[in-house]
Amino acid sequence: MLRRLLWYSILLSGLACVPAAASDSPYLTKRQQLMMLAESNPAELTLWKGEELFHEKRGPKNASLEACDFGLGPGVLEGAYVQMPRYFEDAGRVMDLESRIIYCMKTLQGFTEEDAPIARKHSSTTHTADLVALYTYIASQSDGMKWDPPMDHPMERLTRDAGEVLFYRRAGKMDFGCVSCHSEQRKRIRLSYLPSVHQPAEWAKAISWPAYRIGHGVVRSSQHRVRGCYWQMRQAGLNFGSEASIAILSFWTDQARGHVATLPDLKR
Amino acid sequence: MYPWNHRTVMVTALLALAGVAGCAQQETPERSRGPDPLQMTPEAYAEYLVFESGSFRLDQPVQEGGDARQRMEQDEIQRLCSETRNRPPADVAARIVRIARESIRYPEGGIQLGDWRKGAELARSGYGYRVGHRNDDPDRTAGGNCYACHQMDPDELGYGNLGPSLTNYGELRGQGESVRRFVYEMIYNPHAYFPCTNMPRFGVNDFLSEESISHIMAYLLDPESPVNPGIEPGEGERRGL
Ligand code: HEC
Ligand code: HEC
Repeated sequence: MLRRLLWYSILLSGLACVPAAASDSPYLTKRQQLMMLAESNPAELTLWKGEELFHEKRGPKNASLEACDFGLGPGVLEGAYVQMPRYFEDAGRVMDLESRIIYCMKTLQGFTEEDAPIARKHSSTTHTADLVALYTYIASQSDGMKWDPPMDHPMERLTRDAGEVLFYRRAGKMDFGCVSCHSEQRKRIRLSYLPSVHQPAEWAKAISWPAYRIGHGVVRSSQHRVRGCYWQMRQAGLNFGSEASIAILSFWTDQARGHVATLPDLKR
Repeated sequence: MYPWNHRTVMVTALLALAGVAGCAQQETPERSRGPDPLQMTPEAYAEYLVFESGSFRLDQPVQEGGDARQRMEQDEIQRLCSETRNRPPADVAARIVRIARESIRYPEGGIQLGDWRKGAELARSGYGYRVGHRNDDPDRTAGGNCYACHQMDPDELGYGNLGPSLTNYGELRGQGESVRRFVYEMIYNPHAYFPCTNMPRFGVNDFLSEESISHIMAYLLDPESPVNPGIEPGEGERRGL
């Protein structure tokens, strides 16, 4: 009950401070209407499952994820997600939140790639994937904060810059790059207004994943979204957590810098 | 915008890598076998990500034959438009237009209009050629997805606006030889008129068959088609058509 109230207040506060750009952004206007129509965000259930899983002792090493370092120190969740992707010394690479969760499930809990909690990357209407639940919980600890991915390590900068190249890279049977659909305001594919990468207020909302997707009936992740966009472009299938996917996420988070994240979000 | 062409960048990067690959090993355990990205330009690293890093399922078979690697390899127009971010300077634009013009193949026996009813379905359908976690059925005819970007039949409300409205296109332009030729070329390779346009090259890319193109053209141009319900006086001028 308390949580539900909390959720409403989050929803309401979101509505009260409609960004200035919303009035001339049909994308943001539509998205705010969607938030208003929804009674609550079903992602809440996924978030609770994630919270339980996070504290539960699991895996061959019978450990919780409480000691996992998401970049701000072991166990620090608040604000961690809006400061990712980030370079992790221990892993020697740039990771997004989903990759980092998997890394800790392996190192702290002893799960392997084949074990269901890691193998299962996406939810179905009958089963919420552990990974999605954990991701939703950890991301929610950055709700209302500003996207602020670090660019201190040279690999963080290179990854972001390569992500930008990938964003503009046209290929495949339809000659698309991300740029084809996300570089101008007020453009639509069919009835859907498209967020523009050059409008940080729109983009901050666009990259607000995890989100409960009404059309899918489950919570989806940023990895799921970027895979879907590559699929629509008729390019090759993008692997989960791959370096290229993280490069795209680095660029897309940087483009939202300084604008507020809605976590978890509600999308169509 | 980019000081070197793509090949030079790659070659330079690879040469640089050869010298440093050995010392990258301790700090980057997961990368001990690969080259050091920090020696690469963002452009070279992006190419490495696409083709060498295992990020994409390049080996997956695709319905046109071969594998998905082809879907990532850029032809010259794709590469030039990516490098110039769809704003080619005049000389590059002229080159793109020339390449595009040379690419167009015309049907034997001239450009004919097919059946607008079949065209209506093809203009709506966004099916075909998707690969990855799910694959489109190669036996189902691919659609042109024109409604994703264009208004056509004014009674269809689900249309996008990346491209201009094509409602009453035939009504305003007629069906003459030169109009048919222009529309055919636009569908086949629109870079012949709009270098670095967002519109896909449905002909060059073998996305739509010659027959499908003839049906979609009928849908656009046939006076009987619902795309051409007739216009109010002055509408053509207002829309700049
Ligand atoms: C052919 C057009 C097209 C291309 C190309 C494309 N997208 Fe999208 N994208 C869409 C559509 C349509 C949506 C869904 C919008 C909606 O649900 O209202 C979307 C949604 C998104 C969203 C989430 C927006 C939201 O609020 O739900 C992001 C982020 C995004 N795309 C990024 C990308 C990236 C990155 C690429 C390149 C890898 C890309 N897109 C390529 C059409 C495209
Ligand atoms: C991804 C978006 C997209 C899709 C899909 C698309 N187009 Fe286009 N189309 C455009 C754009 C954008 C233009 C305007 C040219 C420009 O400025 O780049 C255009 C222009 C045109 C024109 C020329 C209009 C004029 O000025 O006379 C025709 C004809 C046309 N498209 C037909 C089609 C048909 C038929 C289909 C489906 C087979 C289609 N298009 C699919 C984006 C698209």
